[in-house]
Amino acid sequence: MKPMQETLVAGDSGNAYRGVCPCCSGLPFDACCRPILEGKPAPTAEAQVRSRYTAFAVKSLDHVENTHAPEIRADFNRAEAERLAEECEWENLRIHQAVEEGDTAEIEFVINVRRNGGLIIKAGRSRFRREAGQWLFVSTKPAPHLEHAQSTKINRNDPCPCGSGKKHKKCHGAAADGS
Amino acid sequence: MNGPLRFLCTACGKCCHGQLPLTLKDAFAYAGLFPLCMIWTPVQRGSRDFRMARELGVAVPLTGGREMVSLIVPTSFIPSTYPCPALVDGKMCGIHREKPSRCKAMPFYPYTEERYQAGYLRPRQGWECDVSEAAPIAYDGKRIVLRDDFDIEKNDLRDQVPVLRGYAEHMLKYSPTLPERLWQASLQEKGGQIVTSLSSLLTATRHPEAAEIASKQLPVLNAYAAKTSGDPKLSDFHAYYSGWAKEMEYMSHAIPRGI
Ligand code: SF4
Ligand code: SF4
Ligand SMILES: [Zn+2]
Ligand SMILES: [Zn+2]
Repeated sequence: MKPMQETLVAGDSGNAYRGVCPCCSGLPFDACCRPILEGKPAPTAEAQVRSRYTAFAVKSLDHVENTHAPEIRADFNRAEAERLAEECEWENLRIHQAVEEGDTAEIEFVINVRRNGGLIIKAGRSRFRREAGQWLFVSTKPAPHLEHAQSTKINRNDPCPCGSGKKHKKCHGAAADGS
Repeated sequence: MNGPLRFLCTACGKCCHGQLPLTLKDAFAYAGLFPLCMIWTPVQRGSRDFRMARELGVAVPLTGGREMVSLIVPTSFIPSTYPCPALVDGKMCGIHREKPSRCKAMPFYPYTEERYQAGYLRPRQGWECDVSEAAPIAYDGKRIVLRDDFDIEKNDLRDQVPVLRGYAEHMLKYSPTLPERLWQASLQEKGGQIVTSLSSLLTATRHPEAAEIASKQLPVLNAYAAKTSGDPKLSDFHAYYSGWAKEMEYMSHAIPRGI
């Protein structure tokens, strides 16, 4: 049996954030997730998903804890999150869909992390709610068309499990091949 | 097999190896001795133990409106080749008077109905249980005769059901792939298991003594991580112990929330 635990988002210890933001936005860290980690409210729910991912990457998990909706904040297994932040390397975050309607939002994302050398793909759709200007995490479920991504070994030439329509090696597999 | 069956534990220590199922109460009481985790075991509909599993375990909804039943058992998580940490000189239980109710209730097994216990009175290979005429009658007419410890364990398991169901609800909410993994485990020939962490239980149940329990677990896990390091056959165990140790390290310092 292979040790495996699950989490909603996970993180890396890399130094990537010195320049480009770890959330894969292509923007400089200082102009992207950094101000949000330092307390500025995320302008959109998508930006909040990005900043929560980045919080794992730079091991700043207070941000993840504080952006849980109050009714589920005590559900956050901080000890496990700290461990994952330490053990995982970030490969990639992709936002596939972000739908905001008033003070609620649904964001579909795919995360690639590497742990003990193995690639783990997490795909999900998370719900957020805006309260006093803060986007708060409410719940998550596996993204429907990605349900089997976790358990299947993906071939380089197969369609990417993220649903982009591209071959895996040209999409989320590209980062995996590079390292 | 309706005749009286005799049984006396000679305290030979032969059954004191590998995983030891515990009640929640015993698990917390011995957080400073056993490396702990939660083990989920799916029980097939139609199997002999299904009724007990439905009473003492949890229901797990599957897609399409179906449902499966799983036990969730707090466990001293030890490789099958390792002795229980309470075992002295390979023979004597070092905590005999206070030993977990699982050990006191041997040979009976609480997750099987009383009327199906006969098989457990036949010692497994290598065990030195006394089943001769000299031993007292332990089971007769599908009823357990020497039953105090059996009842104590069973009652503790009944009492903890609401806690386990709350835990299952939490896990199903935050580990959306858990039902699929349990389903896969149930298809394995020997019966698969899913292992979840003590940290997840302490978090889900908002255990008021989480930090204290974690600080007792930490040295236990570190010791088992050290013992299993470098043994390729036990690399999975090693990974579990060292990962959980990190979680317990954090939890042991955490300030209780909810204020
Ligand atoms: S606690 Fe005692 S009786 Fe129970 S398994 Fe360990 S050594 Fe054996
Ligand atoms: S193997 Fe039998 S006699 Fe030996 S300790 Fe276990 S129950 Fe007692
Ligand atoms: Zn960013
Ligand atoms: Zn992709």
